Amino acid sequence: MKGDGAAAPKMLPSDLLSKKHEELDLIPDSELVTAYEQLRDEESSAGDAYPNIRYLYGTSLEREKDRREIRAQAESCETEMQQWYEKARNEPCTWWLKNHLVAKHALKSCLACGVCTAQCPAAQYYPEYNPRIILDTALSDNEQRLVELLKSDVLWYCGQCSSCKPLCPLGNNLMGLISSLRFLAQLKGYHLHSVRGRQQYAMRHLCGGNLWNRACSLYFRNVTAEGHPDFGPRHAKYQSDAEGQMVRLGANPDRPGHFGGRKLSPQTLAEFRSCLASGGTLVLWNQLEECASEDAGASGISIDEYHDRVHREG
Amino acid sequence: MTKPVCIIGGGVAGMQVALTLGSLGMPSVLVEKSSVLGGRVPILSRTFPFFNDDGFNDGKKFTDSLERDLRSTPLADIHLGTAVTALRGDFPNFTVELSDGNFVSAGAVIVATGFTPFDPTSLKEYGYGVYPNVITASELEWMLNQRGPTGGRLVRPSDGKEAQRLAIVFCVGSRNKRIGAPFCSRICCSYSTKQASTVMERNPKAFVVCFYMDVRTYDRGFEEMYSLAQERGVRYIRGRVSMCRQLPDGSVSVRAENTLLNRPFAGEFDLVSLSTGMRPCQDVNHLAHLLGISCGPDGFFLCREWFRHPHDATRDGVFLAGCATGMKPIRNCMIDGAAVAARVTALLREAQA
Amino acid sequence: MATAMIAPETIKEIPENDFFLTPSCILGAINPGTEILISRIYDLLGLRWKAAGDRPESQCTCCTGFSSHGDLISIESTLLVTARLWSVAAEVGIENITTACVTSYAIHNECLEMYHHEPGLHERVDRWLQQACGRRLQLPKHVVHASDIMYRNRQALAEKLRYRLVDHNTGRPLRIVDHVGCHYAKVFPEKAIGGSESCDVLAGLIRAWGGETVDYPERRHCCGMGFRQCAIRPNRGYTMACVLKKLESMEPWKPDAILTNCPGCNLFLDKEQWAILQMTGVEYNIPTLSYTELAGLLLGWDPYDVVGIQGHTVPVEPLLDKLGIPYDKSKEWIKKENQEATSELA
Repeated sequence: MKGDGAAAPKMLPSDLLSKKHEELDLIPDSELVTAYEQLRDEESSAGDAYPNIRYLYGTSLEREKDRREIRAQAESCETEMQQWYEKARNEPCTWWLKNHLVAKHALKSCLACGVCTAQCPAAQYYPEYNPRIILDTALSDNEQRLVELLKSDVLWYCGQCSSCKPLCPLGNNLMGLISSLRFLAQLKGYHLHSVRGRQQYAMRHLCGGNLWNRACSLYFRNVTAEGHPDFGPRHAKYQSDAEGQMVRLGANPDRPGHFGGRKLSPQTLAEFRSCLASGGTLVLWNQLEECASEDAGASGISIDEYHDRVHREG
Repeated sequence: MTKPVCIIGGGVAGMQVALTLGSLGMPSVLVEKSSVLGGRVPILSRTFPFFNDDGFNDGKKFTDSLERDLRSTPLADIHLGTAVTALRGDFPNFTVELSDGNFVSAGAVIVATGFTPFDPTSLKEYGYGVYPNVITASELEWMLNQRGPTGGRLVRPSDGKEAQRLAIVFCVGSRNKRIGAPFCSRICCSYSTKQASTVMERNPKAFVVCFYMDVRTYDRGFEEMYSLAQERGVRYIRGRVSMCRQLPDGSVSVRAENTLLNRPFAGEFDLVSLSTGMRPCQDVNHLAHLLGISCGPDGFFLCREWFRHPHDATRDGVFLAGCATGMKPIRNCMIDGAAVAARVTALLREAQA
Repeated sequence: MATAMIAPETIKEIPENDFFLTPSCILGAINPGTEILISRIYDLLGLRWKAAGDRPESQCTCCTGFSSHGDLISIESTLLVTARLWSVAAEVGIENITTACVTSYAIHNECLEMYHHEPGLHERVDRWLQQACGRRLQLPKHVVHASDIMYRNRQALAEKLRYRLVDHNTGRPLRIVDHVGCHYAKVFPEKAIGGSESCDVLAGLIRAWGGETVDYPERRHCCGMGFRQCAIRPNRGYTMACVLKKLESMEPWKPDAILTNCPGCNLFLDKEQWAILQMTGVEYNIPTLSYTELAGLLLGWDPYDVVGIQGHTVPVEPLLDKLGIPYDKSKEWIKKENQEATSELA
């Protein structure tokens, strides 16, 4: 598709990939989204692959498009859960613990026996991490202690392994409680106060971007050799021809199908996005964007630079 | 002719009931399903606490003395190896059917069937039943007994070598909502402290650690016993043990959090003793059904009125004594036995007047 | 821990046939052959399965598990997404969900549990689902992990194996470490075969196929994947430390391989061995396989074309040598015939 540059500046899809965030800013929402989708849905000449997805994932373009879409969606549709989370954002932490679906069933009382901390892999690795104390904070009903917890790195050390749950004599769900508190920390913007918390912006586009655009938390091209030197040279070799190996094994990289790397139909993607939005997740994602934007601005860097930074910090 | 009182259970509580009834001139029929009297006390190497102990330290010496006195009174008729198979009638005219074919016309029935130690096999995280060096408190007690399998020496079952490092894990099977046992078994802190103290007394070089959630050495003399244990060098770490695992050399790795220091603890021990909580006697449900009485939410028999009549079961004429209503120390079983005997005697004399 | 003694209350009902197979994010991204092998094994056993509905609206998406534990998704969104998957399964008349991933397994079960604990939730989610995508909430009859199906059919598979888990030169049963995914065994221990401590889902396979299990102190320790801990590079030291702790603990027993049923465990127990070699100089070299990969190899399927062992960081060939399974190393990296050349951007 060739364009005539002399006419009114209608952006060409392929041009967009090389644009920086500041330049993308000038492009209207609908044009950005349409251009992205056109690229995404373009089939190869043989008709069984979508060759452009590899150029779209993880780019400034994809992130910016996501930002716009999610903002628009959040503004246009006010589902029950969206409203609930908007309201929850302004309530005290103690309110959340009594009302959030996960938090309210997570715990009732604690013997402080320490069996959770005894078995916790993170407690053995991070000297300052102690799940028993986190539980004590939650049960204390003390707003100040809770806010302090939500602003700390400590909240983010849990590996969500659930080693604590089978051992707790009172049947508490510590993993669920921490998960719930992490959601609240982001909702209230407290995550900006810790290194680990700020990383959520990286997660937002890594997993969140994959979910929004591919309805899958991970994309096979994410596991690059440069990003995973700890995986060694054999992984690098595999990754250099990941698509070929996946086809060989019967997977569906950037192709229609049931298995790894599959490109889903627009109809399924639409249903999936609708489920995400209905459940109130977009409130969180918008909040993450706003916080990141603010934090980036305060540091005098662009949002893309900020995104790279939180991937590497710590 | 006064009808006898039928006593189900020949442990210390049951024997005390019979003795007290005898001293009040009341006849009794004592039915014990095993072949010996004394219940769970004869294996004890030491009773506690250490002052005012009547000179009885060895459990069997104590139960032997009870049995001697019991057999010297003509008013107590003892049936060993016998169980109760049916109960008919009402207070004060019961008919108790026994497994040896006898029928007893009893005025009242006293249930003194005791308790069962919890079997920790189901708590897989401790490795009991899989790792030989993880044992229960009862097994430790018998090992410490001079009459026991090692003559009172502390050894590792895996290789027979002397055990220098002992871990005692509190609250195994108690205070655990997850397994449906939210209650406290009351005496485990105390018996564990007694055991730990005994080990240190015999071997001052031993390394003994008690892993506790609370130390409930609540009764007269028990707190002093706890202080003495610490003075002897027993260590107490506040943290529930999360797992025991066997290492290649047979010793056991124990993990807990030292909650007072906010630090994880991991240590290696020759022997791990699980201080198991208590459950009601094994056939409690069968007995409850047979006798027509109720149990409480903790599984032990229920009394009809908590303060005024704590020994009355929920059926007229049936009474409860000893650990059948919940775990208690030996001394309290003895007190219980005497109290029930007095109450039943008074009621029967009134009914038959 | 002897896993042959399974408490009766932890023997669960595993459905016999008719499965809806939900795929895994991690497997799809890094170990794609592993989950395709599930479908191949279902076919081998003559089991009926589907992985999607017939309409374009009815394809299978992520369950959001990784993102949920990565703290990006509201619980209600997760409830809706899983409800949608159940609806897709119901569309094709299937009421048994088998997940390829253990985190999915825990997520589906967590959602099911919530409907029991929270009054009115069923009605609300049903309403939201209708509004969001016109579907209705239909609870599945069973939610199991694909390794449960394998466990149920372990004897049937044993009869079809071409190779057994023994050293073919000496006849020695191979010592295999069973590493069960935390989200399979620990989130709902009562729903794991054998509970969380004496879990039998992998040990049963090892025994049935001729091998020997290994009980070592850190047997039930998490592999450390940790979701956000592994996804964000500065955090990955935690993952490495957990893997190292396990390897150090199992080493005295000289295991021949590690068997996993979780995508994350399969990935990290394998791949971090490289990093550990770089940092400590110690080469553990313990091949790490998923239960489907092991089954595929023992069934005699092609190690490279079908099982995909080339994707592993720790070479699996030494294990094949022990098992007596032949392979052609020259075929390790070849592409499939008629592979599409990716077109240039127009």
